[in-house]
Amino acid sequence: MSANETTLATARSGRVRTERTFVRFNLVQRWEHALFLLTFTVLLLTGLPQKYRTATWSQYILATPERLETIRQIHHVAAVLLIMLALYHVGRAVVRLFQRRLSGEMLPVTQDLRDGFKMLRWLLFIDREKPSFGKFSFEQKFTYWFFIFGTAIMILSGLLIWFPVLFTRVLPGGIIPAAKLAHSAEAIAAAIFVIMWHSYHVHIERLNLSIFTGRLSEKEMREYHAREYERLIGESDSPPDGEPE
Amino acid sequence: MKGTRRFLSRNLLISLALLLALCALTVPAFADDGSGRKRFQESECLSCHAQPELQITLPSGEVLPLTIVPERLAGSVHERIGISCDSCHPDISGYPHPPLEYQTRRELSRALYLTCRTCHVTNYENSLDSIHAEFAAAGHMEAPVCTDCHGAHYTQYPNQPRALISDTCGQCHTEIFDIYKNSIHGSALIEENNPDVPVCTDCHGVHNIQDPRTALFRIESPELCAGCHADPALMAKYGYDSDVYNLYSISWHGVDVEVYKANWPTIWHESAVCTDCHGVHNILPASNPASSVSPQNLLATCRKCHPDAGPNWTGAWTGHNEISLERTPLVYYTNVFYVYFVPVVLILAGVYVLLRIIRATVDRVRRNLP
Repeated sequence: MSANETTLATARSGRVRTERTFVRFNLVQRWEHALFLLTFTVLLLTGLPQKYRTATWSQYILATPERLETIRQIHHVAAVLLIMLALYHVGRAVVRLFQRRLSGEMLPVTQDLRDGFKMLRWLLFIDREKPSFGKFSFEQKFTYWFFIFGTAIMILSGLLIWFPVLFTRVLPGGIIPAAKLAHSAEAIAAAIFVIMWHSYHVHIERLNLSIFTGRLSEKEMREYHAREYERLIGESDSPPDGEPE
Repeated sequence: MKGTRRFLSRNLLISLALLLALCALTVPAFADDGSGRKRFQESECLSCHAQPELQITLPSGEVLPLTIVPERLAGSVHERIGISCDSCHPDISGYPHPPLEYQTRRELSRALYLTCRTCHVTNYENSLDSIHAEFAAAGHMEAPVCTDCHGAHYTQYPNQPRALISDTCGQCHTEIFDIYKNSIHGSALIEENNPDVPVCTDCHGVHNIQDPRTALFRIESPELCAGCHADPALMAKYGYDSDVYNLYSISWHGVDVEVYKANWPTIWHESAVCTDCHGVHNILPASNPASSVSPQNLLATCRKCHPDAGPNWTGAWTGHNEISLERTPLVYYTNVFYVYFVPVVLILAGVYVLLRIIRATVDRVRRNLP
């Protein structure tokens, strides 16, 4: 991670203040998130009316058979985009793994369990001090892996119910109704998770736009990623290492 | 008031009696119904029409038999309640009869059956909405009228015995009747006189029979089957599961059909209804090897709509069965995952977020305290 100098002119005083920002996400990751956000939203909006087809509100949206067909096509186009995104994400990780350049900072480690336990003590007012975290807290890793598994389930089950005849040439037939059930239930689980967990962390706890801007301020680094901050400051004042994974 | 009415009715009775006496005295061969029209008595009609081989030839060259068998006439439902010849033949009031204006026998029946309307107004009007009437309007004179199904002179109750109904329809719909006879419904009807199995009219209606090939009939047909097959008491009698319709209506096919039924009932839709898999007139129980849904034939039945389906395909059919470990283990474990595991994860995540909100709020309040 590189530290970066930005000058901010504070209008009131006219004085020049220097604020350091830290790169958190590279351009590829920011685009990946934006595309995921877009496809996730489109898939949810076009999927829910199909899941709740018998409901009155859904029938306002799916007012004609042609409309239903259009909604399905939009769902499929967004699905193809999401599949490409997922392949890119996994493919990039695999390539970097073979290049021995995969940082592994998203991998769950035992420290995360310890952090979680400490966090719980703090939340229950047992500890006075909030635990400090590295670059990605256990909460953020949980979010990442929830979406990794959720997306995998949605893509696999989605393909199964999109091409059931093709897949049952090899797989047992019972996998089709299982995929239908999983696709339907996982969608709801993911929606609840985004609204409840993800939106709390990036909107309610604080407005964290680093996934769009790519950067975190020094203050945010100290407060939310203290271990990472100290590591970076300890190594050097402006360590010029490679792009983050 | 009461006195007046009694007076009136007494006078009426007296005048009626006088009238009857007068009739008996003057014209013993004819009765008078008071309208001034002469009435034939049945015995008078039968004095000629009981003769065997009484017939005339119509201009078309067709022979019109005119013989009435008195014993059979006496057994008809109308005869038993005193309806006699002239009720349906009001134009005939003496001999010689007025000349027949009809060229063909069919023309004659299509004209004379209209007298049924005099008494059976509702049934007659219903029949005007039927596909039979539609066919007649399109010029198909062979389309049935009342007397084709009920008979003209020897009318009986049409459903005694019940198998008489399918026999009647089978007079014209011979091919379908032959298929139906061998189905589970038809064979139970004909061989066992079963009171519960559907006869033609149970599914097709009676007088206002509709075209069963329309999108509307198709989309509503599962409800028809459900009329019996979702009835727990009736199904228990035969050891069948009455949940089949409920489970169908939440299945892939069933939801599709429900939506089309609710929104676009007149738009043709291919999603399978009961009859697509089970057959229509040839329905057999799944345990019968000849059934379209027997294990031997199931894949071929699926392939009617899913032509490229492989042998594993039938396993995708969860049938009319609840999710169970024995029948559908994959669905069972997926269901367990989403009914138990995922909700627990989400609830724990929710509790965690709640704790964070509480802690953040407490901290903020503490910071603002003096």
